[in-house]
Amino acid sequence: MALLDKFLPAAAIREQLSAGGHDPTQVVMERIISPTEGIVEGRHTILAGTNNYLGLTFDPSCVAAARNAIESQGTGTTGSRMANGSFSAHAALEQELAGFYQVDHGMVFSTGYAANLGTLVALLKPGDAVLLDADAHASLYDGCLMSGADIYRFRHNDVASLEKRLERLGARAQDCLIVTEGLYSVLGDCAPLVDIVALRNKYGAMLLVDEAHSLGVYGDTGCGVAEAQGVMDQVDFFVGTFSKSLGAMGGFCVSQHPELDLIRYVSRPFIFTASSSPSIIASTHEALKQLKSRPELRESLWRNATRLYQGFNDLGFETGPEISPVVAIKLGAKEVALPFWNQLLEKGVYTNLMVPPASPDQHSYIRCSVSAAHSEEQVERIIEIFGSLRGLLQDDR
Amino acid sequence: MGFISGRRSLNAQINEIENRIKRLLASYLESSNHPELEAHGEITGDTNLVSDFTLDSFQVMEFMMELEESFDIMIDMNALSNTHTVRDLAVVVEQELAD
Repeated sequence: MALLDKFLPAAAIREQLSAGGHDPTQVVMERIISPTEGIVEGRHTILAGTNNYLGLTFDPSCVAAARNAIESQGTGTTGSRMANGSFSAHAALEQELAGFYQVDHGMVFSTGYAANLGTLVALLKPGDAVLLDADAHASLYDGCLMSGADIYRFRHNDVASLEKRLERLGARAQDCLIVTEGLYSVLGDCAPLVDIVALRNKYGAMLLVDEAHSLGVYGDTGCGVAEAQGVMDQVDFFVGTFSKSLGAMGGFCVSQHPELDLIRYVSRPFIFTASSSPSIIASTHEALKQLKSRPELRESLWRNATRLYQGFNDLGFETGPEISPVVAIKLGAKEVALPFWNQLLEKGVYTNLMVPPASPDQHSYIRCSVSAAHSEEQVERIIEIFGSLRGLLQDDR
Repeated sequence: MGFISGRRSLNAQINEIENRIKRLLASYLESSNHPELEAHGEITGDTNLVSDFTLDSFQVMEFMMELEESFDIMIDMNALSNTHTVRDLAVVVEQELAD
């Protein structure tokens, strides 16, 4: 019985989250109508929290590519990449991704989480030092922890905090790895990669940037924040996911360093995981083509993001520090945020609730992710519904 | 004799660090309006950083960042896995200062 007692705190959290009517972590979409609309509890609901940035999940070319792959290659690989799970399509996607980032080496993983885990445990070993942004995603933390390396966190997006730690590392700095994200997924703020790259160069460190939320969103060709800030050639490792802008699931790492290809031989999360099914690889490959050939998707995305951000600001909500497709509002205590989120769902908008410790500070947030596929009417409706609930916050703010 | 005086000196150092951590923790709890500071009363070496104040993982990590800045050290996250009390933390800080 004692073994199972550890779940008592989780049970308390579940009870707390369910108190408002719906548990935000257990929402079931009964039917998906489009990239931006579904049926939840019998209601038509605008999906404003699914990270479907380019809206490609129902793109006819992507759907056809997945269907063709199932018919020609079967439903699954039934094995790991090292055993029987590498099809020519996996290798082709790796080459395509590497070329997209203008480097020579690429690897695909079965999930974005596995990409971070698999890359970091291979790059780092006990005795190495890694400098990690304090707000980095759990998968980056877990990869660092699993590696056994010495982990030193620096304050989120704080270049002075990073440099102080590089100074303290002394001679070890030239062998350390700096780990950041491009776009941070809760508040929608970007890393100051120009400054971080300057420190990478000054101290001789290496830099890994997770572009999970910025692929397809930032940069002239959609590579991400490093491209937008003009420092792509000074990033050692890019990691990212297929489950957001590319509308599928999976992850990747690309690099200018030929040693990336050797990760295949030493990374346990890569070696011992079944590879992605052919349909996933095919739709991802097609989505990447769409991303590259249809810049108008990014234009729609940014138009919607700008409107939502401004609309929330006009209503007096406290938003994140910059316009991005991640639009979060600060709500303070979770006792306020939970009923607010419930009301949004009941009025037909699905969003993400972020409460401590999952939020980046002691506040709770409602987080929206904007899609290129949102219509102007949907964006206006989201703003209208948020506005109708503004009164719930009067006492707290 | 030298060994014993060395140990006394180390203990004195750890006690000094422990007292400083107590003040930092009280200040952190006060600044974050933590409701259990008054209820808990005096912070001692045996005070458990998590269970005595129900600090969540974010708050623990934020406090660690403040601690690092105050002592001008870096603490490896792995060193915290077996750190539960103020005294445990004082030992970790002492080791970092000695390195």
